[in-house]
Amino acid sequence: MKIKSNAFTLVIAAIIALGPTSLSWAHGDEKHANASPMFVNTDTAPAKTVSAFHQALKNGDKDLARSLLADDVLIFEGGVERSADQYANHHMLADMKYLAAVESKSLEHQVTISGNMAISISRSSTKGHYKEKDVDYEGLETMVLKLSDGKWKITHIHWSN
Amino acid sequence: MKGLLITSLLLMFCAALVANEQDESDIKKIIAAVKYGWENGDGKPFRQHFLNFSGARYIESGGQNEGLDDLVIHHVEPEKDALVFLKLDFSNIEIHVENDFAWAIADTRVKGEMRKNSLTFDKSGYQTFLFRKVDNSWKVVHSHSSSRDHKPQKSHH
Repeated sequence: MKIKSNAFTLVIAAIIALGPTSLSWAHGDEKHANASPMFVNTDTAPAKTVSAFHQALKNGDKDLARSLLADDVLIFEGGVERSADQYANHHMLADMKYLAAVESKSLEHQVTISGNMAISISRSSTKGHYKEKDVDYEGLETMVLKLSDGKWKITHIHWSN
Repeated sequence: MKGLLITSLLLMFCAALVANEQDESDIKKIIAAVKYGWENGDGKPFRQHFLNFSGARYIESGGQNEGLDDLVIHHVEPEKDALVFLKLDFSNIEIHVENDFAWAIADTRVKGEMRKNSLTFDKSGYQTFLFRKVDNSWKVVHSHSSSRDHKPQKSHH
Protein backbone atom coordinates (compact mmCIF):
# COMPACT_ATOMS: atom_id res chain seq x y z
CA MET A 1 0.00 0.00 0.00
CA LYS A 2 1.23 3.41 -0.79
CA ILE A 3 1.01 6.64 0.97
CA LYS A 4 -1.09 8.89 -1.10
CA SER A 5 0.40 12.15 -2.04
CA ASN A 6 -2.36 14.22 -0.61
CA ALA A 7 -1.28 14.30 2.93
CA PHE A 8 2.06 15.54 1.95
CA THR A 9 0.64 18.38 0.06
CA LEU A 10 -0.32 19.95 3.23
CA VAL A 11 3.04 19.29 4.53
CA ILE A 12 4.65 20.71 1.49
CA ALA A 13 3.35 24.20 1.78
CA ALA A 14 4.28 24.31 5.41
CA ILE A 15 7.38 22.25 5.08
CA ILE A 16 9.00 24.05 2.22
CA ALA A 17 9.24 26.95 4.56
CA LEU A 18 10.70 24.83 7.31
CA GLY A 19 14.37 24.71 8.01
CA PRO A 20 16.20 21.70 9.39
CA THR A 21 14.57 20.35 12.48
CA SER A 22 16.08 21.60 15.60
CA LEU A 23 17.03 18.25 16.95
CA SER A 24 18.42 17.10 13.67
CA TRP A 25 20.57 20.18 13.38
CA ALA A 26 23.84 18.44 13.89
CA HIS A 27 23.10 15.24 12.02
CA GLY A 28 20.29 16.03 9.66
CA ASP A 29 22.21 14.94 6.59
CA GLU A 30 23.00 11.45 7.80
CA LYS A 31 21.41 8.56 5.95
CA HIS A 32 20.72 5.31 7.71
CA ALA A 33 19.87 2.04 6.06
CA ASN A 34 16.32 0.82 6.53
CA ALA A 35 16.42 -2.63 8.07
CA SER A 36 12.75 -3.29 8.79
CA PRO A 37 9.90 -3.79 6.31
CA MET A 38 8.83 -0.63 4.51
CA PHE A 39 5.15 -1.56 4.28
CA VAL A 40 3.45 -3.16 7.28
CA ASN A 41 -0.26 -3.83 7.87
CA THR A 42 -1.27 -1.70 4.93
CA ASP A 43 -4.24 -3.95 4.23
CA THR A 44 -5.86 -3.29 7.60
CA ALA A 45 -8.94 -1.17 8.22
CA PRO A 46 -7.13 1.82 9.78
CA ALA A 47 -4.59 1.80 6.94
CA LYS A 48 -7.46 1.90 4.47
CA THR A 49 -8.88 4.90 6.31
CA VAL A 50 -5.54 6.67 5.95
CA SER A 51 -5.37 5.85 2.25
CA ALA A 52 -8.97 6.95 1.74
CA PHE A 53 -8.17 10.26 3.43
CA HIS A 54 -5.15 10.82 1.22
CA GLN A 55 -7.15 9.95 -1.88
CA ALA A 56 -10.01 12.22 -0.84
CA LEU A 57 -7.59 15.12 -0.53
CA LYS A 58 -6.06 14.28 -3.89
CA ASN A 59 -9.47 14.08 -5.51
CA GLY A 60 -10.77 17.23 -3.85
CA ASP A 61 -13.52 15.29 -2.09
CA LYS A 62 -14.09 17.55 0.89
CA ASP A 63 -17.03 15.65 2.35
CA LEU A 64 -15.21 12.32 2.34
CA ALA A 65 -12.02 13.81 3.76
CA ARG A 66 -13.97 15.55 6.52
CA SER A 67 -15.87 12.36 7.35
CA LEU A 68 -12.67 10.45 8.03
CA LEU A 69 -11.52 12.95 10.64
CA ALA A 70 -12.67 12.85 14.25
CA ASP A 71 -14.52 16.04 15.15
CA ASP A 72 -11.80 16.95 17.62
CA VAL A 73 -8.85 15.99 15.40
CA LEU A 74 -5.63 17.86 16.11
CA ILE A 75 -3.45 18.55 13.08
CA PHE A 76 0.14 19.79 13.05
CA GLU A 77 1.22 21.03 9.62
CA GLY A 78 3.44 24.00 10.26
CA GLY A 79 0.58 25.46 12.29
CA VAL A 80 -2.15 23.84 14.33
CA GLU A 81 -5.72 22.93 13.40
CA ARG A 82 -7.79 21.90 16.40
CA SER A 83 -10.90 20.42 14.83
CA ALA A 84 -12.11 18.82 11.63
CA ASP A 85 -14.31 21.80 10.88
CA GLN A 86 -11.45 24.21 11.43
CA TYR A 87 -9.27 22.26 9.04
CA ALA A 88 -12.06 21.81 6.50
CA ASN A 89 -12.75 25.53 6.51
CA HIS A 90 -9.15 26.64 6.37
CA HIS A 91 -6.25 24.62 4.99
CA MET A 92 -8.05 21.66 3.47
CA LEU A 93 -8.98 23.38 0.23
CA ALA A 94 -5.48 24.75 -0.26
CA ASP A 95 -4.08 21.31 0.44
CA MET A 96 -6.42 19.81 -2.13
CA LYS A 97 -5.33 22.29 -4.79
CA TYR A 98 -1.72 21.62 -4.04
CA LEU A 99 -2.05 17.85 -4.04
CA ALA A 100 -3.97 17.89 -7.27
CA ALA A 101 -1.04 19.66 -8.90
CA VAL A 102 1.79 17.39 -7.77
CA GLU A 103 2.60 13.70 -7.77
CA SER A 104 3.47 11.78 -4.66
CA LYS A 105 4.92 8.33 -4.28
CA SER A 106 4.74 6.24 -1.15
CA LEU A 107 8.17 5.20 0.11
CA GLU A 108 7.10 3.43 3.29
CA HIS A 109 4.03 2.96 5.44
CA GLN A 110 3.73 1.10 8.73
CA VAL A 111 0.48 0.64 10.62
CA THR A 112 0.18 -0.71 14.16
CA ILE A 113 -3.12 -1.55 15.83
CA SER A 114 -3.52 -1.62 19.60
CA GLY A 115 -7.09 -2.35 20.65
CA ASN A 116 -9.29 0.49 19.47
CA MET A 117 -6.30 2.69 18.62
CA ALA A 118 -3.97 2.59 15.65
CA ILE A 119 -0.79 4.33 14.57
CA SER A 120 0.09 5.10 10.97
CA ILE A 121 3.62 6.23 10.08
CA SER A 122 4.57 6.98 6.51
CA ARG A 123 7.10 8.63 4.25
CA SER A 124 6.61 9.73 0.67
CA SER A 125 8.29 11.71 -2.07
CA THR A 126 6.49 14.52 -3.82
CA LYS A 127 7.46 16.08 -7.12
CA GLY A 128 5.82 18.57 -9.38
CA HIS A 129 5.36 22.21 -10.17
CA TYR A 130 3.14 24.50 -8.14
CA LYS A 131 2.72 28.25 -8.27
CA GLU A 132 5.68 28.61 -10.62
CA LYS A 133 7.99 26.66 -8.34
CA ASP A 134 9.44 23.18 -8.72
CA VAL A 135 8.60 20.84 -5.88
CA ASP A 136 10.79 17.89 -4.93
CA TYR A 137 10.93 16.70 -1.35
CA GLU A 138 10.21 13.85 1.05
CA GLY A 139 7.38 14.20 3.53
CA LEU A 140 6.77 12.41 6.78
CA GLU A 141 3.44 11.70 8.37
CA THR A 142 2.26 10.39 11.72
CA MET A 143 -1.41 9.64 12.33
CA VAL A 144 -3.34 8.37 15.33
CA LEU A 145 -6.67 6.70 14.65
CA LYS A 146 -9.46 5.62 16.96
CA LEU A 147 -12.18 3.03 16.38
CA SER A 148 -15.55 4.53 17.30
CA ASP A 149 -18.91 2.99 16.45
CA GLY A 150 -17.19 0.56 14.11
CA LYS A 151 -15.40 3.27 12.12
CA TRP A 152 -11.74 4.28 12.23
CA LYS A 153 -11.39 8.04 12.52
CA ILE A 154 -8.22 10.10 12.43
CA THR A 155 -7.70 11.85 15.75
CA HIS A 156 -4.23 13.30 15.23
CA ILE A 157 -2.02 14.14 12.25
CA HIS A 158 1.55 15.40 12.30
CA TRP A 159 2.97 16.34 8.91
CA SER A 160 6.51 17.51 8.31
CA ASN A 161 9.30 17.42 5.77
CA MET B 1 -29.53 -0.89 47.39
CA LYS B 2 -29.74 2.29 45.33
CA GLY B 3 -27.31 4.00 47.70
CA LEU B 4 -24.86 1.13 47.35
CA LEU B 5 -25.01 1.36 43.58
CA ILE B 6 -24.36 5.10 43.60
CA THR B 7 -21.48 4.66 46.05
CA SER B 8 -19.95 1.96 43.86
CA LEU B 9 -20.22 4.14 40.77
CA LEU B 10 -18.66 7.07 42.61
CA LEU B 11 -15.77 4.90 43.78
CA MET B 12 -15.21 3.62 40.24
CA PHE B 13 -15.26 7.17 38.90
CA CYS B 14 -12.74 8.33 41.51
CA ALA B 15 -10.50 5.35 40.83
CA ALA B 16 -10.52 6.13 37.11
CA LEU B 17 -9.76 9.77 37.84
CA VAL B 18 -6.80 8.87 40.04
CA ALA B 19 -5.50 6.38 37.47
CA ASN B 20 -5.71 9.00 34.72
CA GLU B 21 -3.86 11.54 36.83
CA GLN B 22 -1.17 8.95 37.53
CA ASP B 23 -0.83 8.17 33.82
CA GLU B 24 -0.45 11.83 32.95
CA SER B 25 2.08 12.33 35.73
CA ASP B 26 4.12 9.34 34.54
CA ILE B 27 4.07 10.54 30.93
CA LYS B 28 5.12 14.07 31.90
CA LYS B 29 8.10 12.58 33.77
CA ILE B 30 9.10 10.68 30.65
CA ILE B 31 8.88 13.83 28.54
CA ALA B 32 11.06 15.62 31.09
CA ALA B 33 13.57 12.76 30.91
CA VAL B 34 13.62 12.99 27.11
CA LYS B 35 14.30 16.72 27.36
CA TYR B 36 17.22 15.96 29.70
CA GLY B 37 18.54 13.31 27.33
CA TRP B 38 18.55 15.62 24.32
CA GLU B 39 20.06 18.53 26.20
CA ASN B 40 22.86 16.42 27.61
CA GLY B 41 23.47 14.00 24.75
CA ASP B 42 22.57 11.23 27.16
CA GLY B 43 21.04 8.07 25.70
CA LYS B 44 20.05 6.57 29.04
CA PRO B 45 16.58 8.19 29.29
CA PHE B 46 15.83 6.93 25.81
CA ARG B 47 16.99 3.41 26.66
CA GLN B 48 14.82 3.54 29.77
CA HIS B 49 11.62 5.03 28.39
CA PHE B 50 11.52 4.05 24.72
CA LEU B 51 10.25 0.63 23.68
CA ASN B 52 13.04 -1.12 21.81
CA PHE B 53 11.43 -2.96 18.92
CA SER B 54 12.19 -3.70 15.30
CA GLY B 55 10.65 -1.17 12.98
CA ALA B 56 10.46 1.71 15.45
CA ARG B 57 10.60 5.10 13.75
CA TYR B 58 11.46 8.47 15.25
CA ILE B 59 10.81 11.42 12.96
CA GLU B 60 12.27 14.87 12.95
CA SER B 61 11.34 17.16 10.14
CA GLY B 62 13.45 16.19 7.22
CA GLY B 63 14.41 12.73 8.38
CA GLN B 64 13.93 9.81 10.66
CA ASN B 65 15.87 7.36 12.77
CA GLU B 66 14.94 3.70 12.53
CA GLY B 67 15.21 1.75 15.75
CA LEU B 68 16.30 2.82 19.21
CA ASP B 69 20.00 2.16 18.62
CA ASP B 70 19.96 4.34 15.52
CA LEU B 71 18.30 7.14 17.46
CA VAL B 72 20.64 6.98 20.44
CA ILE B 73 23.94 6.16 18.73
CA HIS B 74 23.57 8.27 15.60
CA HIS B 75 21.56 11.17 16.90
CA VAL B 76 21.24 11.72 20.63
CA GLU B 77 24.74 10.94 21.85
CA PRO B 78 26.68 12.73 19.08
CA GLU B 79 24.86 15.96 19.93
CA LYS B 80 27.04 16.57 22.95
CA ASP B 81 30.11 16.71 20.70
CA ALA B 82 28.47 18.57 17.83
CA LEU B 83 26.81 21.26 19.89
CA VAL B 84 28.18 23.74 22.39
CA PHE B 85 24.78 23.70 24.03
CA LEU B 86 21.22 22.60 23.35
CA LYS B 87 18.20 24.00 25.17
CA LEU B 88 14.94 22.19 24.55
CA ASP B 89 11.60 23.20 26.04
CA PHE B 90 8.26 21.46 25.81
CA SER B 91 5.23 23.59 26.64
CA ASN B 92 1.46 23.34 26.43
CA ILE B 93 1.71 19.59 26.86
CA GLU B 94 -1.57 17.77 26.17
CA ILE B 95 -1.93 14.09 27.04
CA HIS B 96 -4.64 11.74 25.76
CA VAL B 97 -4.93 8.32 27.39
CA GLU B 98 -6.93 5.47 25.81
CA ASN B 99 -6.53 2.37 27.94
CA ASP B 100 -3.00 1.09 27.26
CA PHE B 101 -2.32 3.64 24.55
CA ALA B 102 -1.55 7.32 24.96
CA TRP B 103 -0.45 10.20 22.83
CA ALA B 104 1.02 13.48 23.91
CA ILE B 105 1.59 16.67 22.01
CA ALA B 106 3.54 19.76 22.90
CA ASP B 107 4.86 23.00 21.55
CA THR B 108 8.63 22.96 21.26
CA ARG B 109 11.37 25.56 21.38
CA VAL B 110 14.95 24.59 20.66
CA LYS B 111 18.03 26.76 20.94
CA GLY B 112 21.60 25.72 20.40
CA GLU B 113 25.04 26.50 19.08
CA MET B 114 27.04 24.46 16.60
CA ARG B 115 30.55 23.68 17.74
CA LYS B 116 32.13 23.54 14.27
CA ASN B 117 31.12 27.00 13.12
CA SER B 118 29.63 28.70 16.20
CA LEU B 119 26.33 29.16 14.36
CA THR B 120 23.36 29.46 16.68
CA PHE B 121 19.79 28.40 16.04
CA ASP B 122 16.45 29.16 17.61
CA LYS B 123 13.52 27.13 16.40
CA SER B 124 9.95 26.54 17.46
CA GLY B 125 7.53 23.85 16.43
CA TYR B 126 5.55 20.83 17.52
CA GLN B 127 6.17 17.45 19.10
CA THR B 128 4.13 14.27 19.08
CA PHE B 129 4.89 11.32 21.39
CA LEU B 130 3.02 8.02 21.13
CA PHE B 131 3.07 5.63 24.10
CA ARG B 132 2.06 2.09 24.94
CA LYS B 133 1.75 0.72 28.44
CA VAL B 134 4.01 -2.33 28.73
CA ASP B 135 4.25 -4.26 32.01
CA ASN B 136 2.50 -1.36 33.73
CA SER B 137 5.02 1.21 32.47
CA TRP B 138 4.49 3.75 29.70
CA LYS B 139 6.94 3.38 26.82
CA VAL B 140 7.48 5.72 23.86
CA VAL B 141 6.80 3.83 20.64
CA HIS B 142 7.07 6.75 18.24
CA SER B 143 7.98 10.41 18.20
CA HIS B 144 7.64 13.13 15.58
CA SER B 145 9.00 16.64 15.86
CA SER B 146 8.93 19.48 13.39
CA SER B 147 10.20 23.00 13.74
CA ARG B 148 11.23 26.09 11.88
CA ASP B 149 13.10 29.25 12.67
CA HIS B 150 11.41 30.94 15.57
CA LYS B 151 9.56 34.12 14.77
CA PRO B 152 8.20 36.03 17.76
CA GLN B 153 4.48 36.58 17.53
CA LYS B 154 3.52 40.13 16.79
CA SER B 155 1.82 41.83 19.68
CA HIS B 156 -1.58 43.36 19.06
CA HIS B 157 -2.24 46.68 20.70
